[in-house]
Amino acid sequence: MERVTHVFCGSGGVPYTNLQSANNANATPEKPSRSVPASMNNMPSANNKTLSNVGTPSRARISRNRAKNVPLASGGTGGYVAPTTWNQLMQDDHFLSKFFLYFTAIERRILAQVCLRWRDILYARPRLWAGLVPVVRCREVRAMPPSSRTRLYASLVRRGFHSLVLLGASDEDIPELTHGFPLAQRNIHSLSLRCCAITDRGLEALLDHLQALFELELAGCNEITEAGLWTCLTPRIVSLSLSDCINVADEAVGAVAQLLPSLYEFSLQAYHVTDAALGYFHATQSSSLSILRLQSCWELTNHGVVNIVHSLPNLTVLSLSGCSKVTDDGVELIAENLSRLRSLDLSWCSRITDAALEYIACDLNHLEELTLDRCVHITDIGVGYISTMGSLSALFLRWCILLRDFGLQHLCGMKSLQVLSVAGCPLLTSSGLSSLIQLRHLHELELTNCPGTSQELFDYLREHLPRCLIIE
Amino acid sequence: MPNIKLQSSDGEVFEVDVDIAKCSVTIKTMLEDLGMDEDEEEVVPLPNVNSAILRKVIQWATYHKDDPPPPEDDENKDKRTDDISSWDADFLKVDQGTLYELILAANYLDIKGLLEVTCKTVANMIKGKTPEEVRKTFNIKNDFSPSEEEQVRKENEWCEEK
Repeated sequence: MERVTHVFCGSGGVPYTNLQSANNANATPEKPSRSVPASMNNMPSANNKTLSNVGTPSRARISRNRAKNVPLASGGTGGYVAPTTWNQLMQDDHFLSKFFLYFTAIERRILAQVCLRWRDILYARPRLWAGLVPVVRCREVRAMPPSSRTRLYASLVRRGFHSLVLLGASDEDIPELTHGFPLAQRNIHSLSLRCCAITDRGLEALLDHLQALFELELAGCNEITEAGLWTCLTPRIVSLSLSDCINVADEAVGAVAQLLPSLYEFSLQAYHVTDAALGYFHATQSSSLSILRLQSCWELTNHGVVNIVHSLPNLTVLSLSGCSKVTDDGVELIAENLSRLRSLDLSWCSRITDAALEYIACDLNHLEELTLDRCVHITDIGVGYISTMGSLSALFLRWCILLRDFGLQHLCGMKSLQVLSVAGCPLLTSSGLSSLIQLRHLHELELTNCPGTSQELFDYLREHLPRCLIIE
Repeated sequence: MPNIKLQSSDGEVFEVDVDIAKCSVTIKTMLEDLGMDEDEEEVVPLPNVNSAILRKVIQWATYHKDDPPPPEDDENKDKRTDDISSWDADFLKVDQGTLYELILAANYLDIKGLLEVTCKTVANMIKGKTPEEVRKTFNIKNDFSPSEEEQVRKENEWCEEK
């Protein structure tokens, strides 16, 4: 006799049991076997082989793996009623929460605008928004009705954003923000003010409100004064970036050094900062400050470097990009004193020569990343020194115009190298570049604007370095 | 090699190797939970899957029967969609309706590999489209009011990559 197991039975015409409402009916989690939707309650016990017909197209199983996939909002870990039609599937939390994983956070911004259900599923999962930051255009916000602003801020909280960028803010926006977005007080950890006409008073009010803030960026804020920084900066800030703020100079660095004992990361781009500013850092910072980026601080000289190496011997990341007065002597100081450096950026330091690279290669044994873009005086000899560095995994030599194939020959011996750029190097030939296939561990190779490249070369490199991203 | 009989919604019975049928977690769990003997004559009715789709599903499962089990889902990682094997890509060169039915079947039968590859295929279909085009492609009703739509547009356009 043929025995038919009816577990899966049910006519296709049975109305779809909304997963959410079914689960809401079981507000308290029950044993899995009982928390299947109501229509399944007459489901026979598992071992009974003479099964009666059950009226729902349900999967009669409670998956151990599946429990964690069921959104918390839906209550218990009930049996999953698989959708029977496409339209049901397009509204199904369980399916959609997995389906949305096949998109990037950027792409999910579009998906959230498709329908209410998609928006709500996406908004309820902060992890799907990681990598994005909300940029609030203050001028447009001013024109929005208050209820709309409140909803905007609520949408940031729902998606779990902890960062906030304010674009074009002025003082008049601050009271509206502190009142309209009370949750910012504990939810916002990172704030950027970009191109803001905000004054010292506005900044102070804002930082008073954002009690959980530990990361601050001011970019293009020309109303902020150094006195303002002395008033506003709070010791809870561990990461600070100041760029393109016209009033920022030595005194601002003084305030940073004095007021931020726990500072871990400091980025500064200011044309008028002098060597003296770097003398403000002292022992209290030396243990915490690990990352220092001084970008296009044109006035800095080797004396500034002396101050850095004496006050901040524990730096692991240092950028002097565009600090064009620094010379080989400055690099020697860095190499001799900053033994913990893992990343060094000397791009656009046009006075650097091969001698500097010899110092680096001799002393910076932990260096993993070295950027020498636009160091126009370095030659194959300097690259030869670099090629002896066993821990170096990323090397950027963009627009090092004297670099020749002979230099590449040196690089081919670097077993640990994973990322290499020789973009814009005009003297490299096709045969020199093809020798790079010896770098078996390479996973990114940038060759933009190299006259020695050709389609055949790219094909050859791709064939021999299949795991490497070749940037043409 | 023990076989199992699967019956489609329109009554067609397919005889399939049990090991192949078990790539469906739904079928596998049912067999285990019910303690069905593999040598008994069983017919498993699959009322949500018609014969055309069930035939496709079995074809897919047969081709992939020796695949290693798919890795556990890591919900903290975005998944790629550009790594569909050429066999799967050919297999999924079907009309849109069939593709959607395959997803429904893979979801209902809980066949992870098939669900994954079909999801990737439809994800690629809508990447780069506008919300309205996504609705059209998937036949989804726009249930936002005009003001809600404007609101959700801002909420999302104002998010940028870090």
